[in-house]
Amino acid sequence: MSGSMQTGPEGGWAVATHGLRKRYGAQTALDGVDLRVPEGAVYVLIGANGAGKSTTLKVLMNLERPDVGTAAILGLDTAAQGPRARAQTGYVPERHDAGNGWMTGAQLLRHAAAYYPSWEHAYAERLARAFELPLGRRAGGLSKGEVRRLQLVLALAHRPPVLLLDEPTDGLDPLARNRTLSLLAEHLADSPATVVISTHHVHEVESLADHVGVLRQGRLAAQMPRDELQRTVLRYRVQLPEGWRAPADLQAAGAVRTRPGREVQWTLVGDRRELAERIAQAGAQLREVTPLTLEDAALAFLPDEVSR
Amino acid sequence: MLVSLDPRDARPLYLQIMDEVRRAIVVGSLRPEDPLPSVRELASELVVNPRTVSQAYNELEREGVLYVRRGQGTFVSPGARSGDDERRALGRAVAKRALLEARRNGVGAEELMRIMGEVAAEEEGELAPAVSAPDHGEEG
Repeated sequence: MSGSMQTGPEGGWAVATHGLRKRYGAQTALDGVDLRVPEGAVYVLIGANGAGKSTTLKVLMNLERPDVGTAAILGLDTAAQGPRARAQTGYVPERHDAGNGWMTGAQLLRHAAAYYPSWEHAYAERLARAFELPLGRRAGGLSKGEVRRLQLVLALAHRPPVLLLDEPTDGLDPLARNRTLSLLAEHLADSPATVVISTHHVHEVESLADHVGVLRQGRLAAQMPRDELQRTVLRYRVQLPEGWRAPADLQAAGAVRTRPGREVQWTLVGDRRELAERIAQAGAQLREVTPLTLEDAALAFLPDEVSR
Repeated sequence: MLVSLDPRDARPLYLQIMDEVRRAIVVGSLRPEDPLPSVRELASELVVNPRTVSQAYNELEREGVLYVRRGQGTFVSPGARSGDDERRALGRAVAKRALLEARRNGVGAEELMRIMGEVAAEEEGELAPAVSAPDHGEEG
């Protein structure tokens, strides 16, 4: 690991999992997940539906027990010290369901306040106003987007040092989404926290991310700081001679589609200079190397996904 | 907006913010002793981790471009000027982006420069009847 990582509890990780495995019947949900989130990071966990994002967050909340492996929040084991770990955590669940749908938003806030000594009434009300939440209405009658924002208020109002947000922008229209993410950035300026955001809409939270994990079929296909991802995943425009075949080392880096005699574009993973050398050694001509957006770079690790 | 980020730009976000602040100083939208938005405001506006904004401000402070007044915020240093060096650096960056884009479209450097001359002359022709001298608003 690079020396620039923050140190904190548990070998430097504010949120960590160790070899998580979980099966539902014949379905493998998690297949050895080692999440590593440095303190103060905004870590975006990317993956298709069913890749294991929600299950990972549920294990961290002790809502699911892994078959194998452990998880820790601020060094607290989430199974053995679950209540203490959860007291340090704000969580937006996968489901749009504020629970206790017969309660009004205001009642739900009071209810939650009882569980958290650090709950700030004034702040909860300020957030609810900023989100334009109708607190007098029963939670069961709120729209999907309103429930999402209510869940965010519940997660933020006790100013926890760790936030686990499962698809926090799901159900929000573009305007509400921007407002919500801006409020999250303001919240972090006032109350520094380590944040894990799971999403399959990377571009929606792209600017916030400073660390990225890509989950694919229950495995972390990549996990690194944002800058490293954008430095090591690049697009190479290459001219291929007739009858050219990609050598194994380039295939391993991602060069698969070869149409001999023409120009091709590859998204390759690895050191830029090294890859340029290999391309030259393999007898192909490198025309251009261009950077990718965070989303496109992350999608390079999901070759079987339809890229938008 | 004083600072904006380009999602297609793959450089680290704090470097992009640093460049945007430098650019604002060069074009004069930020002048010596002007206050910068707070870390909170800029993080909210750009939707980035506030730590990224802090990192950019800290680096610019180290370079002497910005300074911190305790309890009051971050300001542009009296010495931070829109010198020829900075303007030249910005111009070089523009040239690099233009060249890259030109090559991608099968246009070489010399051809691009010739076309740039043509286009600039055309634009001048279009603007000439309306305004004789470009007006940049308030002049310091």
